[in-house]
Order: sequence, then structure tokens, then C-alpha cells
Amino acid sequence: MFYQPKDIQKALGLKAELKERGAFLAGGTDLVVLMNHGKAAPENFIDLTHIPELRAIHKHNGTLELAGNVTYAQMGKLPIRCLARASLSVGGPGIRELGTIAGNLATASPAGDGSTALLALDAEVELTSVRGTRRLPLEEFFLGYRKTALAPDEMITKIFIPTNYQTDWAKNGKRGAMNISIVAVAVAITPKKEVRIALASVAATPIRCYQAEKFLAKNGLTTETIRQAVQSVRGEIKPITDHRASADYKVHVSGVMVRRLLESLVKQ
Amino acid sequence: MSRPTDDTLEESAARLHVTSKSSGAYETGPMKVVGKSALRLDAVGKATGATKYGQDLFDKKFLFAKVLRAAHPHAEILGIDTREAKRLSGVVAVLIHKDVPGTNLHGLIRRDQEVLCSKKVRYRGDALAIVVAKTEEIAVAALEKIHVDYKPLPSVLTMEDALKVDAPKIHAEGNVLGEKHLRRGDAPRAMREADVVVEDIIQTQTVDHAFLDLEAGRARYDGKMLTIEVSGQWLHEERRLIALALGLPLEKLRIIQPATGGAFGGREDISIQIYLGVAALKLKGKMICLRYSRSESTIVRHKRHPIRVHYKLGAKKDGTLVAAQVTFYVDKGAYASTGIAVMRKASSHATGPYKVPNVWVDVLGVFTNNNPCGAMRGFGAAQTAIAYEGLMDRLAVKLGMDQAELRRKNLVKSGDEVTTGQVVPYATATECFDAVLKRIDWKNRSYETPAPHLKRGYGISIVCFGLGYGDGFPDASRARCRLTPDGLLEVYSGACDVGQGLTNMIAQIAAEEVGVPLEKVRPILSDTALTPESGSTSATRQTYFTGSAVHIAASELKKQLQDIAASHLQELVYEIKIENGAAFNVHRPERRMTLKEIARVGKKRGFSLEAMGVYKPPTMPENTQTGQSMRAFVTYLFGSHACQLLVDTETGEVKIERYIACHDVGKAINPDQVIGQIQGGVAQGIGMALMEEVVMKDGKIMNPGFTDYILPTIRDVPEIECIVLENPDPGGPFGARGVGEPPLIGTGPAILSAIYDAIGTPIRELPATPERVWRALLDH
Repeated sequence: MFYQPKDIQKALGLKAELKERGAFLAGGTDLVVLMNHGKAAPENFIDLTHIPELRAIHKHNGTLELAGNVTYAQMGKLPIRCLARASLSVGGPGIRELGTIAGNLATASPAGDGSTALLALDAEVELTSVRGTRRLPLEEFFLGYRKTALAPDEMITKIFIPTNYQTDWAKNGKRGAMNISIVAVAVAITPKKEVRIALASVAATPIRCYQAEKFLAKNGLTTETIRQAVQSVRGEIKPITDHRASADYKVHVSGVMVRRLLESLVKQ
Repeated sequence: MSRPTDDTLEESAARLHVTSKSSGAYETGPMKVVGKSALRLDAVGKATGATKYGQDLFDKKFLFAKVLRAAHPHAEILGIDTREAKRLSGVVAVLIHKDVPGTNLHGLIRRDQEVLCSKKVRYRGDALAIVVAKTEEIAVAALEKIHVDYKPLPSVLTMEDALKVDAPKIHAEGNVLGEKHLRRGDAPRAMREADVVVEDIIQTQTVDHAFLDLEAGRARYDGKMLTIEVSGQWLHEERRLIALALGLPLEKLRIIQPATGGAFGGREDISIQIYLGVAALKLKGKMICLRYSRSESTIVRHKRHPIRVHYKLGAKKDGTLVAAQVTFYVDKGAYASTGIAVMRKASSHATGPYKVPNVWVDVLGVFTNNNPCGAMRGFGAAQTAIAYEGLMDRLAVKLGMDQAELRRKNLVKSGDEVTTGQVVPYATATECFDAVLKRIDWKNRSYETPAPHLKRGYGISIVCFGLGYGDGFPDASRARCRLTPDGLLEVYSGACDVGQGLTNMIAQIAAEEVGVPLEKVRPILSDTALTPESGSTSATRQTYFTGSAVHIAASELKKQLQDIAASHLQELVYEIKIENGAAFNVHRPERRMTLKEIARVGKKRGFSLEAMGVYKPPTMPENTQTGQSMRAFVTYLFGSHACQLLVDTETGEVKIERYIACHDVGKAINPDQVIGQIQGGVAQGIGMALMEEVVMKDGKIMNPGFTDYILPTIRDVPEIECIVLENPDPGGPFGARGVGEPPLIGTGPAILSAIYDAIGTPIRELPATPERVWRALLDH
């Protein structure tokens, strides 16, 4: 069946009833690809594209609330550098018009471009079901390779991000667009001068490098501390060798990118 | 020399006109259609979606076929049980090798590949069975119900393993497809006496054609004629191969080419035609459809040969080249395909545009259980150019000489012999090279960069490319021009337009020669029932060959039209000019008649109002021991490229800042299309140089889709500055040469040359991914 609920409550009601037998469909940029490759064959679709409030962006007390169906194209226009840059690096214009933030998080790709930016921003996700609403930090949302904390009846309804972080983002890949990252890196400095470093494609999920962050929070950002933090990052990540690049290269290039991004933040 | 033996009287007669194609006495004015960037005749249909490609020929009421592929790269087949699949509701037929009525074999040069394997599979794309069902979904489901009993054999995945004495034999005769040799002078001795010698090993990668229009088509057998509608590159040869495999006489087989979205050599080998034929013959009266997915297309289709080149180059102190010793190890994959011809192209192009008096080349083609390799744009010359230009750079460094000066000093000039011993009468390598050096301002190139981790490099390359098949092969194109009762000019040719713009090329030539506006020309292409054989769309040959055949046919027809007009108007025939669709006396333009009137009058007087053109310039076989031939190729093409780029020395990423490509095309029949070919070739060359690579593991392709088979995007391709030179070739239509392959051939070496210039260490394995560049810097 193909359901087209007009509001969130109806969508959640359907999901509660169908659970794993019902797949939310928003942009379809992952789900339809999986279906084409025979890796997904949902019995039922719950199309979320007819729920306007899921496209909304609000600002409350310095916090941005992105509803689940906010697209990469929308995020590309936000004045949050790491998120805008990550969003504009996803796919091509067509994919960015369709692909959504909730879809990206639910897929939990280890190479998620948007995920790194959101991790560096200390983003929180709001998960809603007919049972109620809960809110958890994004770090706790990713549980393992393509595994999330999302229950079978839940929907990612909102993502909360601060607007007062100083951030940047970069990715390394084999070409300039339509590019699955070899490594993607997001960095941020909080108003309390704490540092956030998040990477994609270097572990089973997008990850934060806490040791490096702690070291920098304690010792401040200088050329020398950044150099030491880079060593820490290289130890914290656990990339694998695959047909995109070797683990050695990923470790090396992660360090280069973290160093460059942090140096550029210091200069800003 | 090979004596053309299959000439008909008609062909021999037509051949006489090769050297004097222009028919009238007053033909010296400016051209009206040739040389103009006329809108493509297929543009509107393609832009609006009206044009029908293979998949557009499908209909739900037809039957759909799917093909079962090998589960192992190398295995004996002990049995195939199709009973369960046949029982599935909606399945119409399940066919295996026993159901193929003919030889069940195909292959372009050596028929060594079974259509449906009977005893053994040799790579993972080998076919075992065809399911025909009411829908594609049912056919896919039925594939799962076919049970094949295999005895897996050890697979041979590298050339080293294939050449071991105790290696499992992929083919009964062993794992060596063949050898090619070229001997010119005494290279070992000259090498010993050389002042400076450089040597290196370069490994190129497996490359996919990645055309967008996936293999798709349909077939039906009505009891008299089997009609197959599938895109290929040489319909008449495909018809021969299909007929042999199916045991059909040629006249019972009709091949029609749907619109085609790219080929690049990837449609030269048989794809789905015979599967469709087998199914259609079995299910008389039924229309059968078949298409590949992107991954099936990638897993099954042949690839560009990965080649390991051992190259040794010797020179005098002043930079004059004296010797080259080259060995090519060519991974053939599982079947011969066009491998022998690719190997010969590599050997005959071993020193490219450089004059080297002593050259020894050995080429070894080795079977493995990887994908078969065959034709792809550049055809062995692309891999070779990367090697010889790389060595020229190393030599320049060792000599302490400017790399442009070293190249310029050694370029072939008109009247020089190239590596095959053939004298090149119209060598314009130097003109192309100088044009490129001037455009990039070579002498004033700047190495300043915005940051210390960025290094700039400049690369140059020169292409010298033998056009056509050559080697004594009886290569010919035929075309027919006909004036319809409505005064339209029909042009018939079996040549395949695979997207490159052949339709306009032949229409513009015919329009120019006869003297009609382009909109009065009706090209009728690639249908074996209607069109004469025009050879393959490959070897950069269609403009030169089919363009000439059309030119000859148009010229012959024009003579008829002039005769009719002269006798009807009672004027002298040599004073009759045809222009803009009307014939008139040049001195008394009011004495005129339209082509429609000529058609009416001509028919009444018994004129055929049609003419055939055959173009068959002879070549001579290369000596099997020395590779030498007085005319190895009908003509040579020249071009030169320059590239400016930045290398990020910390990440290995490469950014092309500027790209210049110069090609001497003789005459640009349609300049926009020529530029399109150059830009397309460069873009494809950028892919080969920097990112494209089929990754194989245990004979399985790990990246059979565009998510992981990385093609360049518009962000990776800079503006390509094209310089088109027009030094006419007397053998081509209106002096045209050809442009299909040289732009790709020049690109890889120019980019690699620039990376070397930037970082001072060569990339020996393609593509030059960020990781490979980084590793080269680490090892430096």
C-alpha cells in the first residue's frame, strides 16, 4: 500500500500499526536506490511529502529547529557554515532538492555528510511516536553500522542545532560533485571555546573525536596543540580499506583536513 | 600487399573517382553547408524525447527475456537443471546451449566465446541460460530457479599467474592469446650506444565505457525474417556473427539500429543480439525484449585492456632519440574479442609522434578470468601514449632539457617514417604542438601558487594516430544517394551514428556536393535491409571512409542530375550548376529547373536518379616479424594537448586549472560537432587519468555502478580550449581527416605529465587518484 497522510499524527498512527512493514518515504534518495538494487522491498510506503510542517525551519532562543523533511537544498542556505557546506556537497542539485535531513540520519550511513556537521554542532534529535516524544543527542542516536536508536514506530520529527557555534566543514573524494566522501570532517568551536571534531567514513558510524576535543579544550588552539590534536584524531579513528581508499590514506588525510579546518577557524 | 579480391565492378569503377571527387567545373566558390555548425538533425527529437532508444521499443504486451550469469569466474558446468524455472507461472521458455541452433559461438576476430556456455564458464559475465517470460519480474524470479551444477576451477586473476607453467588453462590452447612484434633497426645495440637511457614500468587500469544508453532491444521472427533491433557499431559484421551463431542465412536476418546513446567501442562486441535471436527463433511470431541494468551491463561488457608497459628509451646528449625497447603485457580477460588488433595498435603506436630509428616492440596478450577486454576509444594507443610521453618527461629531466624542446626536436615531419616504416606525407604534429605551446604561453609559465602545499605543474602531449583498420584489412564504406520524386536527397549508409554526430556529417557532405539545402537531405542509416555496408563506427574512420563514400555517391548523382538538366534545358553540361536545390546555367541563371523537375524529367527518360559510392583505400599488412608496412594505416592524425594543474601535496588531490586541446581535423565538416568530440574525448581522458577504475576482486567487479565507478562531473572538467586546425588530407571528404579517438589519447599523458612536472615523481599506476599521488610523494 502507498499511504499519503496529511499530518504527522496520521503518519505516526500508520507507522505504529505497520512498524517494520511500513517505510517512511520522503525524498527517496536512499530508499529508492536500495529498492533498485534489490536491497529493500517495503510492503507499505508512508509518504511524508504531503505534510507541510515537516518542511519547516524555526528559530527559538538561538536554537534552530529543522523539521525532518528539511532538504539539503534548504540547509544549503542556512547561515551555519558546516551544515551549509556539507549540504551543498551532497549529490547534485536534483538530489539536494529531494534528500532530507531525517532521511539522511535514519539511513545512518557511515559516510553521511550532513551527519558530521550535525555531530560537530551537538545537534539533538526529536523522535516522536504515538507513545510520545523523546529527545536525545545525535551521538546517542547512532548505535552502529547503519543502526540507530529509532524504534520501529518512531519518526525523526525535529533536529535542534545551536546558531552560535563557529564551524567549518570539508570532504575529500575522487571528484568535485556526486561524491561519496573518502573522509568528511566537521569542526566547531562552542561559545565556551570548546572544540568539536566529527568525521565520516572512518568508522562504522559518523563519529566524534573526544580525546582530541578534550585536549584542545584544555590546551587552547595553537599550531602546536593542533598538531598534537591531529595525532590524537589519527589514533581515534578506525577506517577500513575499501575500493575508495586504503585505511592508511584515510588516517593521513583525516589529519590533514582536521588541521586545516582548525587553523582556518583560528584565523576567522 | 593484400590484393582487394571482393571488389565488384561497381566498386572498382567507383574507386576511380576517389582522387577527383568534385564533379563540376565551377566548384571553387565558398562552401554553403560543409564547414557550418548546422543544428544537429537529431537534436529536436532527442531534446523532446521523441527519439526512440532501445528501451523505448518495449511494450507490456511483448515477452521479456533475462540472462543467467556465471556464479564463478572459472568453473566446469556439470549440468543445468531448468525444470523448476520452467514450472514458474508466466515463464514461456528457458533456453540453454542446446537451444542455440547454430555454432553457439561469437567473437569479432576469433570466435571463442559461447553464446550460452555448455562446458565451462571463464568469467562472471558468461551466460548460461535465457529465460523468456510474460514480464521482466517473472523472468528475474525464474533465473533464481535455474540450478547449475558447477565444478569450480582455480581462477587465474593476474597475468603472472596465467603465465605460470602449471597455471590452469582458461582456453584449451593455453593462456596466451598471441604475440606481436615490431623490429626496426637494432634497438639493443643503439641502446648500448646511447648517451642517456631512461626506463620505467607503467600500469594502466581497467576502464569501462560507461555509455548512458544501456544495452536494450527487441527481436521477432516471422517465419521468414528474424529482425533484431539493437544498437551496435557495425551492423553488417554483427549480422554475420549473429547469423553464424544462429545458423541462419544472412538474408533471413535483418538488423536495425535504434537511436544510440554512446558506444566508445563498448558496442563493438556482440551484446544482447544473439540472446534475442535465440529466443525469437524459438518463439516464432513473438516480440522478445531484453535490457541490461547498469550493473549487468558493467559485469558483462568487455573493458579497456589494462596494460603493463616496460619502456626503455635512449637518446644522444643533444636529445635526439636513438632507440626504444618496449614490452606490452596485455590482460585480455577471458576472451579474445578485438585483443589482437588492440595489441597491434599498441605496437604500431609505440613511439607515437616521435622519430626513433631503432625500435623493438614485443606485445603479449594473456588470458585471465577477468572481464574480457576489447575495443575502447583509443584502442591500445591510449595506454601507449601514457607510456611514451611519461618516458619523454623522464628523459628531459635526465638530460636537463626543457620537455617541450625535447619533444619538438624529435617530432615526425612530413615525409618522415613513423614506427611502422610508413612515410607520413602530411605530418602536422609540429603545427599542433606549436599552437598549444603558444596558447599556454609555455616560455612564461608560472609556478607561483597560493599556498606552499600546492604545487603547479604543466603537462604536454602529442598524438600521432593511424586512422582506420589498416594492416591490409579490406576496409570499405559504401553509401547510396537517391533523388526522390519530391526532389529530396536521400542518403543511405549502414554506418552507425552512436551519438557522435555521423548523421549530420553525411547529410552536410551530401548537401554540399549535390547543391541542396541541408533540410532537403534525408539520411537513412543503419538498417541491413535498406542500407549498404559502411564498416564500423570505430578507428576514427567514419568521416574519412563513409564521408568519402557519401561524397562519391553524391558526386555521381550530381553528374546524372546535371546531365538531365543540360539535356532538358538544352545547355552545355559543364555550364550547369546546382545550387540551393535548383540547376541552372552559370552564365544564364534564368535557364533553370528545380530538383523536383529534374526528378520528373529524369524518371521519364529512364535515369536511375541514384548512385552508389564506395571508398576503399588500400593498406598493406604489417610484416609479422618486423611490424613494418609501407602503408600500415590509410592516413595519420595529429594533435597536441597542454594542461595546467595544481597538486595538493598533502592530500594528493589534483585540480586542473587549464586545458588546451589542438587537433588537425583536415576539414571540420561541422565545427561544433568537432569541438563536441574534442571536449568529450578530453572529459573521458580526465576520467581515465584521474579517477576511473574498474575494481576487481576474485574476478568480481566491486564497483558495477555509477555510485562507485567514478566518472568526472562538470566540476572536474575545466573549460576546454579547443584549437581546430584544418590542413586538408587528400584522401578525406573535402579534406576531412577524423577526430573520434585522438582527443582521448592526448589527455591522459598531458595530465600525468603535468603531475610529474608539479611533484617531480612519476605516477606509474593509473588512475592518479589522490591516494596514488600521495603515495608517490611519500616514496619520493
